[in-house]
Amino acid sequence: MAVRATVEALLRERKLDRTLTSAIPERLGEDAVSPLDVDALDLALAGLTGPQRGLAGGLPRGQVSEVVGPASSGRTGLLWAALAAATRRGESVALIDTFDRFDPPTAAACGIVLPRLLWVRGQAVSKTAVAIDPAWLPGVRAVNGPGTFVERVIDRAIKSLNLVVQSGVCTLVAIDLIDVPATALRRLPASTWFRIERAIEGSDTAVVILAAQSVARSSGGRSIVMGTGRPSDPGSRLPAPGIVWKGEHDRTRRLGGVRSGAAVSAARWSHARQVAVHTRFVHAV
Amino acid sequence: MFAALCAPSISAAAIIDVARAFTPRFEQVGPLVLLDAGGLSRLFGNAQELGAHLSQALAKHTADAACPERDPRQVARAEGRVEARVAIASTQTAAALLALGRPGLTVVEPGQEEQALAPLSVSVLDRYEHLTGSLRPQAASSKPQAASPDAGSGWHHPRHTHHASRPKPRAQDNRRLDILTKWGIRSLGALAAIPGPEVFERLGDGGLQWQALARGVDARPLVPWVDEVPFEAALELEWPIEGLEPLSFVLARLFEPLSERLEQADRGAAVIHTALRLTTRRVHARTLPLPAPMRDAKTLRTLVLLDLETHPPDAPIDTVRVFIEPTPGRVVQWTLLERAQPAPEQVSTLIARLSALMGETHVGSPQLVDSWKPGAFEMAAFQVSDRSASAANDRDGETSPTLAPETRASEGAPAVPTAPRGEHAEVPNAMRRFRFPIPTRVQVQEGRPIRVNTDRQGFSSGAIVDAAGPWRTSGEWWQEGQAWDRDEWDVAMTDGTIYRLVVERGVGQWFLEGIVD
Repeated sequence: MAVRATVEALLRERKLDRTLTSAIPERLGEDAVSPLDVDALDLALAGLTGPQRGLAGGLPRGQVSEVVGPASSGRTGLLWAALAAATRRGESVALIDTFDRFDPPTAAACGIVLPRLLWVRGQAVSKTAVAIDPAWLPGVRAVNGPGTFVERVIDRAIKSLNLVVQSGVCTLVAIDLIDVPATALRRLPASTWFRIERAIEGSDTAVVILAAQSVARSSGGRSIVMGTGRPSDPGSRLPAPGIVWKGEHDRTRRLGGVRSGAAVSAARWSHARQVAVHTRFVHAV
Repeated sequence: MFAALCAPSISAAAIIDVARAFTPRFEQVGPLVLLDAGGLSRLFGNAQELGAHLSQALAKHTADAACPERDPRQVARAEGRVEARVAIASTQTAAALLALGRPGLTVVEPGQEEQALAPLSVSVLDRYEHLTGSLRPQAASSKPQAASPDAGSGWHHPRHTHHASRPKPRAQDNRRLDILTKWGIRSLGALAAIPGPEVFERLGDGGLQWQALARGVDARPLVPWVDEVPFEAALELEWPIEGLEPLSFVLARLFEPLSERLEQADRGAAVIHTALRLTTRRVHARTLPLPAPMRDAKTLRTLVLLDLETHPPDAPIDTVRVFIEPTPGRVVQWTLLERAQPAPEQVSTLIARLSALMGETHVGSPQLVDSWKPGAFEMAAFQVSDRSASAANDRDGETSPTLAPETRASEGAPAVPTAPRGEHAEVPNAMRRFRFPIPTRVQVQEGRPIRVNTDRQGFSSGAIVDAAGPWRTSGEWWQEGQAWDRDEWDVAMTDGTIYRLVVERGVGQWFLEGIVD
C-alpha cells in the first residue's frame, strides 16, 4: 500500500494521476461515475463481474465514452437510459442531436425528465450519405462558411458539443452522430476529441458519443458495442438474440423489444465484458 | 443561560430594541426574542436581577413609546399596563416555553427546567411550533428587506432569507395536539414522562421533537442576528477623469471590497446604483437592475461600464459612488447529497451562444403537449431548475395522455421502465423519428406490408420479416391543415432493423417515420 501511495503521489505531481488512479475500478465511487441504473450494465462498465459492496458502476465522469452499434440494437435506448437515470438524480443533461432525431414523447415515456434536458437540435436531414465534399475537413472552418448543408450541420454539432462541455452546466453530455456518414466521421480530426477530453478532465461531466461505428474514446472512457449477440458464457440460460413480438394473433401482435448483447471495453482491460441486453419497447403515440 | 422576552401588547421591533440594549446576541422567534444571557451577570447581577432589569426595560420602553410627552403619571400608568413575560433558563427552549406559558418573570435554576415546564399546558408546544413555523414563510418574497416588518429598523436576519433552512409551513390544524388531548395528556410533564420509544412508535419524529421540547432540550443553537451595513462605496478623485477606461480602474477599486462583503454576507447584487458627480456639479445617476443575483467584482464592473458606454456622462467625473441593493445569495446546492446547480449566468451564456449557433428554436428543453398527435412536442426554455422540475415531470408522467396503455396499465408500473436485477440488462427502446418522414414504396399483401423499397442510402430495403399493426390514429380534423389520419406499422427487416411505417389514409402514401432503436 505504501508503494502504491508513493506511485500515486508521483503521478499526481506529474499530473498523470487520472490515467491510473482515478480510472481504476477500485476507485470508482458515486462521484466518479454516472450510473445508468441498469445493474448488469453498470457492473460491466465498472469492470466487475458481480455486485460488490460499496462500489457503483456506470459511465465514468470526466471521460469520453461511446455507444456504438447497428440500427435497432438498442444503442439509442441505452443512451436514453443513461439520460433518464441522470435526470432522475436531478442532474442537468444535454443532447446534441445532429440530425434532429430525438422523439420527446417516447423519451418522456422512457423516464427522461424533459425539463432537465438541454436539447440542441441540428437540422433534420434525412439524405446524408451523398452530401459530403471530399475536401471537407470537419470543424476546421467557420460554421457558416462554404460547404454542403450536411457539412455545416455536422460542424455546428461539434461546435455545440464544445460549448456545452466548456460551460460545465450539464453533467452528462451526449452527441448523436448515428446518421453522420462514415466518410465524415473518419475525417473528424482526433484533436476534436482531445479538446473535449481536456475540457471535461477532472470535472463531473461525462461525454457519450452515440454512433453507428466506433469514433473516439478517452483513455478512461468506455466503449459499449451493442448488437454483439449472445453472451460468450456457454452456460447462459438466456434466450437467443432477436426481435421479441408479443401477442399470438395478427391483430394483437405488437413489438415487445429486442434481445441483443453488448460488449463493454476499456483501454486497460484485457478483454471486453459481455452483457446480454433486452430492450423493452415503450410505445408513445 | 438564556432569557426569553415576550410582550403581546408590544411590537417585535420594540422587544428587539430592548434586547439590543442588553446583548448583541439575540434571536427573534415570532413575537419572542431569545437572548444569550451568558456573561451578563457581571453587568446586571444574578439571573433574578437580570430578569428584573429586563422586565423593567421592557415596561419602560413601551411606556416611553406610548407617551411621547413623558408625563410621569401617564408613563407610570403605561408601565403598569404592559404584560411583560420574561423567562430565564439554562436552555433557550425552556426559556421560550416559559415565556409563552407563564406571565411575569420566571427564573429557573439550571437542571430544574423539566420540573419548571411540567405544569405548562401541552398547547404551549403547538403555539411554539406555530410561532417558529409561521415566521419563516413571511420572508419568501424576493426582497426580504422590504417585506420584513422590522425592515425600517435596519436589522436583517440571515435566516429570514435563507431558503434552504426554511421548513415547510405548519399544517392548519395540528393533529398531534388532538391525539395528545384524546390520550389525556394535558401537561408537558405528562408528555415528558412517556418513554421515548413509545412516543416515536405512535407519533413519529414529530412526537419525539415535542417530547424533547417538553423536557426543555434545545433542538438547535441560538442563531444571533447580524447587522446589515449598506453596501455602498464612494471615491472622491483628486483629478477629474474623462473617458471610461480610467473609470474602470476606479470601479474595480470600489467593487472589489463590496464583492467581498457581499460574499461574507451571502448576498448578491440585485440592483446597482451608480452616481457620478461631474465637474459641472451635476450628478449623473444610473440604475442597473441585474437579471440574476451576482457578486463577481469583474462582472459587476463590466456591466456598469457597458451601461455607461451607452449612457456616458457629459462632463469629467469628480466623485464616483456605487450603491448595491443586496438580495439573498443563490442556493446552488440544496443538500449535501445533491450536486451543486450551475450558476444562472453560465446557463444564460451557454443558451445565448448555442442559440446564435443553431438558431433560437433549436435550443431548449422539449415539452409535451396535450395532444395525441404522434411526436407532438414544443420547445421551452432550458432552465436549471430545482426540485420543481422533477415534480412537474412526475405530474406529466402521471397524467400524460401520450403514454401507451401497455406501458402504464398492463405492467402495473409507472412510466419509467425498471431494470431488473437479473443477469441481463434491460433498457428501453428509443424511437429515432424523422422530422420529415421519408416517402417509401411498400408492397402490401392481404392488408399487411410485406416489402419496403426506399431510394435513400443508408436505409434497408427488402422483404419484411415480421410486422405488427395497423395502429390507427386520427385527430384534429376540426383544424384545417392540422388533421391526421393514418395507420402505423412496426416492421422488422431482414437485417434486424425495425422501422415505423406510416400510411396516410387520405392519400394512401407510405412513409418511413422512424427507427426503433
